[in-house]
Amino acid sequence: MEPITAGNNFMAQAMSLASKTAENPYQFSSDAAPDGLRFPDAAMMQQLGLKDLPQLPSSPQELGPMRATGEAGTGFSQMISSLASDVTAKGVQAASAVNSMMTDQSVPIHQAMIAIQESSVSFQLMVEVRNKLLESYQELMRMQV
Amino acid sequence: MNITLPGSESIAAAMNAERIRMEVASQNIANARVTKTDNGEAYRRQQVVFEAVLQDSQNAIQSVQVARIEEDKSPFKRVFDPEHPDASADGYVEYPNVDVNREMVDLMMASRAYEANVAAMKFSRSMANESLSIGKS
Repeated sequence: MEPITAGNNFMAQAMSLASKTAENPYQFSSDAAPDGLRFPDAAMMQQLGLKDLPQLPSSPQELGPMRATGEAGTGFSQMISSLASDVTAKGVQAASAVNSMMTDQSVPIHQAMIAIQESSVSFQLMVEVRNKLLESYQELMRMQV
Repeated sequence: MNITLPGSESIAAAMNAERIRMEVASQNIANARVTKTDNGEAYRRQQVVFEAVLQDSQNAIQSVQVARIEEDKSPFKRVFDPEHPDASADGYVEYPNVDVNREMVDLMMASRAYEANVAAMKFSRSMANESLSIGKS
């Protein structure tokens, strides 16, 4: 299924990006901001339907000081990988819906289409999050010291 | 409630229901001239009855489902045709109480309702796309 493979590419990108940023001393806007800029907001991510989301720090103070040595699986990288796995799950759902529509006709056309749409929308959301993340990272890298 | 595409669950349920309506109307047309069924009499027109079903008790969202498929109790059409194998002793044949014109209208209604649900789905999708465009510079 094409949406799945396309998704894998982007997910791989997003995940490697997330792990890179975890290694980077200048982690994220949430780390850099002194007065608690809440990005990404845990409540927002939960509203977006990421139920098995790890408990996100709600302020930079909670997140702790900036780490020079990157610890994998902290804050944002965890969130992005759970987002990626959510998108994968939706993609798999869509693929299996299309599959069972084509083979044993157990799923009507509209349900398969809706599953595809859902997967496409959540995939786009992930891409948007990745774009935003990349943008802020580049913004930081361009910063004159 | 679906969070990515609001309304998609009730839309899917409605589309399912309309498909069943389409199925039953087609069945009525197909059997419009059937003079003998399993119970010995002519085919009786079937009609679908929809009902609302609570889909999300938290937000009181109701979707639709087919409650039951009922027989139309109206009398059969009696046609005088003594040569017909299913004719009764007095020479009359009972034909199904199916009006093909009415079934065609039913088919059109099912198809239009299906289209309306597709339109609702498109709006839901475009809302999601609009939300995603918030992040674009």
